[in-house]
Amino acid sequence: MTAEQEARARALAEAFVSLADTLVADYDVIDLLARLSSDCVALLSVDSAGLLLSDQRGALQVVSSSSEQAHLMELFQVQNQEGPCLDCFRSSRQISVPDLSRDGRWPRFSGRALEAGYRAVHALPLRLREETIGALNLFSVRSGALSPENLRIGQALADVATIGILQERAIRRRDVLAEQLQAALNSRVMIEQAKGILAERGRLDLSEAFNLLRSQARFQNMRLSDLARDVITGATTTEALLRPGPPTGT
Amino acid sequence: MAEPAGLARALARIVAEGGPSAPGRICRACLAVLPVTRAAVTVMAGADRQEPIWASDEVASHLDEMQFRLGEGPCVEAFTAGRPVLVPDLAELSGHRWPVFAAAARRTAVQALFVLPLQAGAIVIGVLDLYRDEPGMLAPDELAAALRTADALLWALLGLRDGPTADGFPGNSGNSEVDPHGWLSGSPLNHTAVYQATGMIMVQLALSPEAALSRLRASAFVQDRPIDEVARDVVGRRLRFEKEER
Repeated sequence: MTAEQEARARALAEAFVSLADTLVADYDVIDLLARLSSDCVALLSVDSAGLLLSDQRGALQVVSSSSEQAHLMELFQVQNQEGPCLDCFRSSRQISVPDLSRDGRWPRFSGRALEAGYRAVHALPLRLREETIGALNLFSVRSGALSPENLRIGQALADVATIGILQERAIRRRDVLAEQLQAALNSRVMIEQAKGILAERGRLDLSEAFNLLRSQARFQNMRLSDLARDVITGATTTEALLRPGPPTGT
Repeated sequence: MAEPAGLARALARIVAEGGPSAPGRICRACLAVLPVTRAAVTVMAGADRQEPIWASDEVASHLDEMQFRLGEGPCVEAFTAGRPVLVPDLAELSGHRWPVFAAAARRTAVQALFVLPLQAGAIVIGVLDLYRDEPGMLAPDELAAALRTADALLWALLGLRDGPTADGFPGNSGNSEVDPHGWLSGSPLNHTAVYQATGMIMVQLALSPEAALSRLRASAFVQDRPIDEVARDVVGRRLRFEKEER
């Protein structure tokens, strides 16, 4: 590892540790998001970062940015209802614009961004399972795509921040927390019922049944509770889960 | 709030005694101690099939009935999502969430509502709606009492469905000894063997989760043993349920 790589690895580890710290301690969500924006700039070879969050009333709010210029770019998208960050939020997918001067999707936004000196922009969704709560915009003064590695790190940072935000909301809103806890509790009961079904069908003991359920959920990229529900309702045939050999996907 | 332990005892007694009046008695016991104004219970066999079981008054009954007519509202959501829907202040409800129901509810005296599904894992048989004529979230101990009320309703209603022989707690029918098996105290997760056995009996007899649980309860009743103990026999493969030969 070169000295440069080593420094980067250390910075990366520090960024995740400090994000994780904010999740455990009593923290402010805005502080978390500010940290996310500055971490992105420090780690991902981009020049500015900005963050939009859903206000859960159907609109997006600019919540943080690494620079005033990035803040204005986010605001411009919200006010004009046009831009990669909005599309990213609506579609829940990453959007990459390696060269703004050659992309005609958002003429007003592109014109404004080029004016501000940016040549490339990337948008990453802030999502947790089904829920998309916002989007992260990364701006570069040079054209070119983000490396796959940087894209992956950017999304991982966004994911950690998302978990933090949702947790924060839940803690502030005791009613939401109560709803989530109850849902989690009932999922757990459902998993026990599904374990019984698999144990009986496959002549397994209950921990084998659970391991099977868990490995299949991971393999199919499903929530354990959703797979359990499918096993109970018969939407997933237990024969498919019990078939010997590597798990078969759908 | 009145003593929560008192409520737990009262609920357990009502469930143990069973009978068609149990749901109403459970709701009245809950209304007596919780800072809620009205209550209703609806039993459901799917999002589009439901039957109102009990309502404390006209307003509760109207709000309950309206949701199912409209196909939207906290009851429908709680039932389909399998989690409580807690709305501490109807005035703060955003426009997207049940627009027609919310508008209608605001025309009544109701200002907060708390809907709890009557469920155990994949078994979801209905909802308990609690309506409050002033805004505000339930305090943690009040929420706990509301959840206990929902548990009691679940068990009372399952008992009713199972028929008179399996009313109340298996092995404890008509007995006023309170909650001998701890169903209405402690966490529902204290009974994992019951859920696991339910899954196994589903396979053994090709039954729905609800029917499988009902068979387990009936078996415990006949043997006059606690349901957890019988469930452990099923899980330990010392007891199997066989399909009856015809």
